Amino acid sequence: MLFAVAIFAPLLGSAIAGLFGKAIGDRAAMAVTILCMLLASGCGVSAFIELESGDTTAGVISLGTWVEAGTFHVDWALRYDALSAVMVAMVTCVATLIHIYSIGYMAHDENHTIWRFFSYLSLFSFAMLMLVSADNLLQLFFGWEGVGLASYLLIGYWYYRPSAGAAAMKAFIVNRVGDLGFALGIALVFFTFGSIDFSTVFGAVGQHQDAAYHVLGHTYRAYEVIGILLFIGAMGKSAQIGLHVWLPDAMEGPTPVSALIHAATMVTAGVFLMARFSPVLDYAPGALGFVTFIGATTALFAATVGCTQTDIKRVIAYSTCSQLGYMFVAAGVGAYQASIFHLLTHAFFKALLFLTAGSVIHAMSDEQDMRKMGGIWRLIPLTYTMMWVGNLALGGIPFFSGYYSKDAIIEAAWASCSLVGHYGFWCTVIAAFLTAFYSWRLIILTFHGAPRADHHTMEHVHESPAVMTVPLLLLAVGAVFAGWAFHDQMIGPDWKAFWGDAIQIAASNHVLHDMEDVPGWVSLTPLVVGLAGIATAYVFYMFVPGIPGALAAAFPWAYRFLLNKWYFDELYAAVIIRPVQYLAQGLWQIGDVTIIDGIPNGIAALTEDGSSQVVKIQNGSIAVYAFAMLIGLVLLVSIFLLFLR
Amino acid sequence: MNWTLALPEIVLAVLGMAILMFGVLQKRHNPFHLASMLTVGAFLVAGMLVIAGPEGLGYHGQFTSDPFSRFVQVLVLVASSLTVIASLDYNDHANLRRFEFPVLILFATVGMLVMAGASNLMTLYVGLELQSLSIYVLAAFARDELRSTEAGLKYFVLGSLASGLLLYGISLVYGFSGTMEFDKLAMTLADPTKVSAGLIVGIVFIVAGLAFKVSAVPFHMWTPDVYEGAPTPVTLLMGTAPKVAAMALLVRAMATPFGHLLGQWQQLIVLVSIASMLLGALAAIGQKNIKRLMAYSSIGHMGYVLIGLAAGTPNGIRGVLIYLVTYVFMNAGTFACIIAMRRRGRSLERISDLGGLGKTDPMLAMWLTVFMFSMAGIPPFAGFWGKYFIFTAAVQSGMWALAVIGVLTSVIGAFYYIRIIKVMYFDTAEAAFDPRSASLSTLAAVSGLFTTLFFVFPAPLVGAAEAAAKVLFG
Amino acid sequence: MIAAVAFYVFALILLASAVMVVSARNPVHSVLFLILAFFNAAALFLLAGAEFLAMILVIVYVGAVAVLFLFVVMMLDVNFAELRSGFQRYTPIGLAIGFVLAAELFIVFGGWKIAPDEMSLRFAPTAANVNNTAQLGKLIYTDYIFLFQTAGLVLLVAMIGAIVLTLRDRQTSRHQNIARQIARIPADTLEMVSVRSGAGMTEIGIRRPKVEAAVPEVEHATTDHDHGAH
Repeated sequence: MLFAVAIFAPLLGSAIAGLFGKAIGDRAAMAVTILCMLLASGCGVSAFIELESGDTTAGVISLGTWVEAGTFHVDWALRYDALSAVMVAMVTCVATLIHIYSIGYMAHDENHTIWRFFSYLSLFSFAMLMLVSADNLLQLFFGWEGVGLASYLLIGYWYYRPSAGAAAMKAFIVNRVGDLGFALGIALVFFTFGSIDFSTVFGAVGQHQDAAYHVLGHTYRAYEVIGILLFIGAMGKSAQIGLHVWLPDAMEGPTPVSALIHAATMVTAGVFLMARFSPVLDYAPGALGFVTFIGATTALFAATVGCTQTDIKRVIAYSTCSQLGYMFVAAGVGAYQASIFHLLTHAFFKALLFLTAGSVIHAMSDEQDMRKMGGIWRLIPLTYTMMWVGNLALGGIPFFSGYYSKDAIIEAAWASCSLVGHYGFWCTVIAAFLTAFYSWRLIILTFHGAPRADHHTMEHVHESPAVMTVPLLLLAVGAVFAGWAFHDQMIGPDWKAFWGDAIQIAASNHVLHDMEDVPGWVSLTPLVVGLAGIATAYVFYMFVPGIPGALAAAFPWAYRFLLNKWYFDELYAAVIIRPVQYLAQGLWQIGDVTIIDGIPNGIAALTEDGSSQVVKIQNGSIAVYAFAMLIGLVLLVSIFLLFLR
Repeated sequence: MNWTLALPEIVLAVLGMAILMFGVLQKRHNPFHLASMLTVGAFLVAGMLVIAGPEGLGYHGQFTSDPFSRFVQVLVLVASSLTVIASLDYNDHANLRRFEFPVLILFATVGMLVMAGASNLMTLYVGLELQSLSIYVLAAFARDELRSTEAGLKYFVLGSLASGLLLYGISLVYGFSGTMEFDKLAMTLADPTKVSAGLIVGIVFIVAGLAFKVSAVPFHMWTPDVYEGAPTPVTLLMGTAPKVAAMALLVRAMATPFGHLLGQWQQLIVLVSIASMLLGALAAIGQKNIKRLMAYSSIGHMGYVLIGLAAGTPNGIRGVLIYLVTYVFMNAGTFACIIAMRRRGRSLERISDLGGLGKTDPMLAMWLTVFMFSMAGIPPFAGFWGKYFIFTAAVQSGMWALAVIGVLTSVIGAFYYIRIIKVMYFDTAEAAFDPRSASLSTLAAVSGLFTTLFFVFPAPLVGAAEAAAKVLFG
Repeated sequence: MIAAVAFYVFALILLASAVMVVSARNPVHSVLFLILAFFNAAALFLLAGAEFLAMILVIVYVGAVAVLFLFVVMMLDVNFAELRSGFQRYTPIGLAIGFVLAAELFIVFGGWKIAPDEMSLRFAPTAANVNNTAQLGKLIYTDYIFLFQTAGLVLLVAMIGAIVLTLRDRQTSRHQNIARQIARIPADTLEMVSVRSGAGMTEIGIRRPKVEAAVPEVEHATTDHDHGAH
């Protein structure tokens, strides 16, 4: 019950704010959505605690039938187990804090439709909760598309800025590519299992081990195909390499949006999907290898790009991309628990980082370029401290939350003892170094050194109001303690009791156990490279500021390669967008204008002629009408007598 | 004999007479609004009685209550309530504030309830007459307007002709089979040797009489003139509840007593259905008056519904019922929007009057867009699902040609529905309409929300329709 | 034998008068032929043993409906010549349809076969010693109560319809209100004024005699308060 309230309260808030926002005004809309979110987070956390303390048991809350078509049966139902309870608690808490933060951040919005913003934000929260609590793939897909829609609306919130509109469309379209894979995956799940209900599917995993598809003379194992298709969906939503191009651009949205959607929740939906489908994926080693490979590559790729970006939010965006890569590495080597653990800690510290960045931007009069900041750490000490906390957690410094989860992933990658696992290990280790490097590059460029902003801006630098800093403090608590608090239960000795049936792994999968037995140097490496990264950053940007410029001059091709984000956008423009445009142009001129328009126009002309003929008999005379009826009757009788006897 | 079977009808009729007395005796204030509210209340009471009532066959086999009749009765009550609500605003502005208006709607509804539960050809006829007579009067209700009286008169004369055909058909059937009860007819006709040509001709006459009521081609000629001339809430009524009741009657008559003659009447229904779809799609294109356009649109929609009957399977009947539900809501919503078309107190009916509505009244334009899309059968709106169930049933019965023609004509139909949307959003803006009354906004919103959100929870409705359809096939 | 002869006589007159109803030039003649047709139909009912129906036919159709027709025909100014021209215009097509329909029905009735067990159903089973009227009454008020009551509702609707469509609140018609007339006293209408000789009306302040009610009061309750006088 609490669980259902937690999920539907944001919908109520969104509906009230969205439908009546104009009438009741911004303040009331804010109050309503935030009250609903507070209620939701209260219920969400209680539901989680009840489940973990054993007061309630996991189960399914059925809300009614949705689709009933032959053997295809879908219910509206909420799945209440450890996985969804963790996600619901996390999402409601982070979303609530971000709602509150938005009051301060959006106060000076020139759009004057703040109710719209809050309605979208709550709508997003609802869709995300629907996604994580779904009991079948279709409902999950509903939430999946719902968060996509809300993300589109929020990225394009400042729709009068062309860049925001373009970014919103880019996010939507790139996600479509992934969604195609996801939809195909759902179809194949139904095809293979005869149901898309999680309980049914997971219960039947053993029976369909040998199911296979025969396409064009090749045979593919069903689980592998399903796993890869679902992962393609996850790649789109979680911005993995290849389909990551929308995430940096999505920073056009307001910063709270970036924090909520593009760091803490929506982008982690792909990771969640992997964990949710662990019972099937665990029997698809090929697909898992692919997941690890893509995740590791993304982690490394995004970290390298992050080192050269100058927009404060884009640096954090690439960092998010990279951290998502970590989570997929964990999922790929079978340590789903570790991936969800990292998801949880990451949600706190990345939301904290984004909100802190928002606070900086707020202080700098909406300046986002780090080259125009610097020397403000004395002016906004609280924000500065928070940035440190967030980066310490991100960098994996001991006893901050990131330390536990990130190390677990790196150890799991090593412990998997496979080729691709080791590839994952090395990629994530290098990425850990780069992560620490660009994090402290960000701190130093933003807060230290000589002020590079103009005089006017510097005069206005001020600490954010309490409504923005209090959420920061609360998130900081999470960023510091979440790892320590949940380590034992989620991936430590108690993980079996904690997860219950929520994550089912194959009997042959004992990564979590092997993790404990990795060599000592493996455990130490992340910390060492992290500290090395921090040191390098200090050397490069504080003590010897000439090095970065010199390096860039020495290796211009490398610098440009990284600055242009490995030329992904250009590659897509050349390989996909431009050919498609030419094709579309051709089809439009020849196919559409000439043939497709020509035929219907002709038919339409014929139809209109027919129309004018048909209505001629309708002249208003009763006698004509009566005769028409009688003639019709006689015709029917005649037809019957002549033909149907 | 279980007299409680007809309790909803009895209670509704008694309440109707009470409201009539109240209206006559109330002299100080104009009782129109109060009588309307009371009528809606009476519909509510009747609806609850329908839902809670017992099932069975009673009154010497003249009246029955089963899931099918209850489904139809609830739908009819909903449609009638929507009409009464729509009339509140229209009658105020058109100087038709007379309490007889809701009372006549109420008695028409009683007739429709009787039709839904008819299990005897005589009950069928009496119910039909009660409904028709009330609506003849309603059509002529604006008695100082030439168009309205002409509509009433035309409908009356042609309706009487149709009633004559129906009665003649009933007498033929009675003459050749010896009974008018549906059950006994079904038993008699199960024996092929007892089926004579005269009986089949009688069925043709009955089909003709009922086809007039659902305005299927070639018995549709009255529809455009009467739709245009009658006061708009009456047009709304004619487009919804009586269509539902008459269609239900046709379905029950064909499926239950004449169910064994499927091979015979199926071809008739197919012909009528094709002709209706074609005419509905073609003739509407040239229309400039939106009420006339809705008349042709309803002819087309009835053509689609008849496909479901022609399929002759429980799935087809299920499609018919679902289609009727969606049709009632989108039709009611559209007419609510039409009633709201008013400038300086004058009602407008030309399509061009909608020009620029997207700018002057975005809310109204949005709802009308929803209804037009739904009528055109564009997913995810309710209209699409109605068509979907109908066409699926036709394909399952192997009636490919019928389904293909249905799809083609709905493409043609989409042209004129979407043209209205084009007029609203892309044509030059005219002056804004008068402010809408709350009743119309509510009506449009309720219908619009149903039409939009039908796909979220279709299962209960589909389940009820399925249960209702199964009854007819034993 | 006599019954058979009577049947054919009445039937022939019935058909002939039905034809005359349609073809007579004078509308009053048409109505009179209609009355004749009713009488003959009633006679046929009598022959069939349905005396109640026969009497009802005479009372209702002749006594009420046909007389009403006569009134309408005589009092309303209907241009029958014009109606007839329309009739003539549609005659050929009407004849064609009628012919086809008749031919079809003929084919159908050619195959008429009366099943033995249905014979008993065609004539209502009548008990001995119970007359026709009582028999009908018993059936109508027991087995067919539902239909009977519903038919009653149809009549109620017809009545409401007639009132709704025709009853007008005529502001021109003046009704006598006797109570008011009797209750009237001279002081209500008369004013005694002492007039100075030679003075004009305006000088002494007399404008007009008091008028009690400008609009004559309308007595009966009306349904359409919003109808203005025309």
